[in-house]
Amino acid sequence: MTSSLPATGSGGVQGGRPAGAGEPLLQVTDLHTEIRRAGKLVRAVDGVSLTVGQGESLGLVGESGCGKTMTALSVLRLLPPGGVITSGRVTMAGLDLTAMAETDLERVRGGQIGMVFQDPASSLNPTMTIGDQVAEAVLLHRGNDRRAALERAVQTLRLVKMPEPERVAAQFPHHLSGGMRQRAMIAIALACEPRLLIADEPTTALDVTVQREILELIDELRHRLGMAVILVTHDLGVIAGRTDRIAVMYGGRIVETAATATVLGRPRHPYTEALMRALPELAATGSGRLASIPGLPPDLTEPAGGCRFAARCEHAREYCASRVPELDGDHPGHSYACFFPVAQAADGSAPWLNQLSTANGHPPAAAAVPQQPPVLQVQGLTKHFAVTRGALLARRVGSVSAVDDVSFEIAAGQTFGLVGESGCGKSTVARLIAGVAQPDAGSILFRGADLNQLTGRDLRGQRAGIQLMFQDAYGSLDPRMRAASILREPLLIHNSGRKRAHRRTVARLLDEVGLPPDTADRFARQLSGGQRQRLALARALILQPRLIIADEPVSALDVSVQAQILNLMRKLQRQYGLSYLFISHDLSVVRYMADVIGVMYLGKLVELGPAHEIAASPSHPYTRGLIDAIPAVLTGKDGARPAISGEPPSPTNPPSGCRFRTRCPRAEQICAEQEPPLVPAAGRTGRLTACHFPLPPVPPGGTVQVTANTE
Amino acid sequence: MTAYLARRVLQALVVLVVVTLIVYALLTRVPGSALGAVLGPHAASGFLPRYFSWLNQVLHGNLGFSLLHNEPVSTLLAASLPRTVALTGTAVLLALIVAIPVGMLQAVNKNKLVDHVLRALTLLCYGTPSFVLGSVLILVFAVKLKWFGGEGPQAPGFVGVITDWRDLTLPVLTLALLTIALFSRYLRSSAIDSLAQDYVRTARAKGAGERRVLRRHVLRNSLLPVVTLIGLTVPQILAGAVVVESIFNFQGMGYQLWYAAENHDFPVVLGFTLVIGVGVVAGSLLADVGYALLDPRVRYAGR
Repeated sequence: MTSSLPATGSGGVQGGRPAGAGEPLLQVTDLHTEIRRAGKLVRAVDGVSLTVGQGESLGLVGESGCGKTMTALSVLRLLPPGGVITSGRVTMAGLDLTAMAETDLERVRGGQIGMVFQDPASSLNPTMTIGDQVAEAVLLHRGNDRRAALERAVQTLRLVKMPEPERVAAQFPHHLSGGMRQRAMIAIALACEPRLLIADEPTTALDVTVQREILELIDELRHRLGMAVILVTHDLGVIAGRTDRIAVMYGGRIVETAATATVLGRPRHPYTEALMRALPELAATGSGRLASIPGLPPDLTEPAGGCRFAARCEHAREYCASRVPELDGDHPGHSYACFFPVAQAADGSAPWLNQLSTANGHPPAAAAVPQQPPVLQVQGLTKHFAVTRGALLARRVGSVSAVDDVSFEIAAGQTFGLVGESGCGKSTVARLIAGVAQPDAGSILFRGADLNQLTGRDLRGQRAGIQLMFQDAYGSLDPRMRAASILREPLLIHNSGRKRAHRRTVARLLDEVGLPPDTADRFARQLSGGQRQRLALARALILQPRLIIADEPVSALDVSVQAQILNLMRKLQRQYGLSYLFISHDLSVVRYMADVIGVMYLGKLVELGPAHEIAASPSHPYTRGLIDAIPAVLTGKDGARPAISGEPPSPTNPPSGCRFRTRCPRAEQICAEQEPPLVPAAGRTGRLTACHFPLPPVPPGGTVQVTANTE
Repeated sequence: MTAYLARRVLQALVVLVVVTLIVYALLTRVPGSALGAVLGPHAASGFLPRYFSWLNQVLHGNLGFSLLHNEPVSTLLAASLPRTVALTGTAVLLALIVAIPVGMLQAVNKNKLVDHVLRALTLLCYGTPSFVLGSVLILVFAVKLKWFGGEGPQAPGFVGVITDWRDLTLPVLTLALLTIALFSRYLRSSAIDSLAQDYVRTARAKGAGERRVLRRHVLRNSLLPVVTLIGLTVPQILAGAVVVESIFNFQGMGYQLWYAAENHDFPVVLGFTLVIGVGVVAGSLLADVGYALLDPRVRYAGR
């Protein structure tokens, strides 16, 4: 196993601490963890070894079910019920954590090792104040009196840059925004100045802009406190600029480990390479297909012998299925478990990266958007939700401006991408178009008919032409209905066709979305995440709609599966001339999918234009900020410009003038006084921007974060 | 919090008005012409005016006149209500004191032997009719062992009942055993839910020991649904009191209600029904207040 390495590509992040000096802080040796649940045995961690040096940061990457979280939980023996470490050792500064008595381990938890979990909303106790929850950690390890512990809690909240720490300490978790809750979680983990911080997907539940702030905070605290960090994540972008080393996990094992820049720049394991190629940020726009990894991650209840990735690997030969590759490599400090590693170009870089950079040099072919009649025209769409107060009679004290004067259109066979942070109103737009909510003002013309004017049968007929896909495919499928019934239901509701024909329709659609025929008899719980989203897509397609509203359809999926679904959606779009309203918080996904992008902020459309142009040269500062916030995998660095900070203000009382001005680096007096209209941007064709001081166009060849930049 | 309370009180008042309307409607349908005299002055005619005049009487403490005892229903109520409150209150308290550790123990040892044994025991108590349970307890502990009295406390008033622990034990035990299973089962399932919550893992990651995790993080969050349940079990407990008071010859509301029903003493039946209705409404109101006190999300949301 490699000892901690000097960071080669992340620009002096060692914090003055000689890396590799002395013995490592944390050493995991041949760890095996099993989880017994409902008569099944899952070998979640299967022989993992890794080390973390003093003050070093390690990124543990992999898709869901690869064992990365179980590895992290094994370190502190915080495994879920049924979880057992069957063999291997975890030592922390000479102490054997696997053999230690529970009461001794309690001194290590929160004292020596702090841990931050994925979802700050559920990871905080809803009935305890933030201050008490942070102070509890202090009381447990420092034995201080309550008052001293609370004082220390406020100090720690200040350390994690919590706004108004004294006030927040007295508040309950539900008072705080997602970003503030995650800061509170970090404060709990850091209250006793641990030597190691384990962060398990710390930003997955947060917006990109907030994600960047939290990651920067962890990074800064690591240097300030000289602690080591293990960052567990599925997102290569999250660790790209922030960790010294990466360990890539697959099927319960580490398949590749080296310095971060080495793994990302010259991946040798086919899985690592495939994972990177599946990133939408690397896909050329237009008709380019996203590279996806075929098949599903291995079932760890009955793992196959040999290389776990063999079944999905394009380089695999017969040999791979029978023998287990050892984790070693031809370069010191770069280990990979593969018999047939990815070839390297003469200069040492991966060949596919070069292809990419040339592909991005040209404007994509789809730039010339053919003039098609619009399928959907949205004009002045407005929706307010009343805010009421009062004990007896609900008085209207204000309103949340969820959607305010939003206009756009979607051409036939095209995709309109709607982007923005959570709470910006993008999902409300979807609900209004789908007819789940009624707009307060504005019109929705679908194929020339105003949906608000239609009633009864006419409305139902038109409604069948608009279908929905959701983020949580599992939640959107009835758990007590088999796939066939789920697909038949829309046909029955709309009395479409004869019942005898339904069976054939169902079979045809299952085939089209790439599901095996026997899926028809299965329940949603028997399907994987990707299969469920395929089924949801099939249900949306069964009435032969013209428009599908897809609300974050791939946000809950792994990168490799996400690529499969995105490719499938594009294939079906070409096949049926479908239009998509594609809603996502992830600009790189939207850029890949959409022909036209609309950017929303606090209920307002702030920028509108062709997707590749917006991504390459945003004109609204908010769009720029969103793009800058996306962690780029290849450059390993975030944008040089400071990303927009903080979280959106409350939509109950949106700021006067331009709603973005409170977070805008370019804001001036006029921004508070006058609301900028959505008008054609100067010097750009086909672009609309609502800004008093729009950004100048980026010259061709300039650096842009969303597109791959291999320099 | 005040807004939330005001809203809940108002809702409770609306329910109470409906309760009085139903009771009054029943009262007027009661056979027997003697009732007219019992109901008090009836200058007004028509349902609503008569209802309001009756309501006026009720609000002034006039619940009618017992045909059997030859005294106002309110007098009867004043004597029996505190006794029943003492009996049922002690029983609920005892049930909670037993059910909380039992439920937590079951949750921690989910699907293990302890869990199964405790579930079987509590269900056995829950499933046994109270007259059987009461009789068995009397037979064993009063007749055979002579540890406790076979009859409920006979001293008057709340204090009289509470202080006579020798006679109080068996009726309280009978009532409590019935409700332990109810509370412990709820607590078990809600504690199992809480144990699986991410914040419990957070507490463990802080270095909190098992006892602290259970006390500080699991118990409080698990008690929330139980608090609601206590409010909702008020009618069940009062129904149980009717049987238990009869078995133990304990002169409380249940006993009086039973006796009045057997002897067609309708003013007493309906007067007591009204009071029990008020008790049930008050019980669920108190449960909501308790819930709000325990759960800050309700306290501040105001809805």
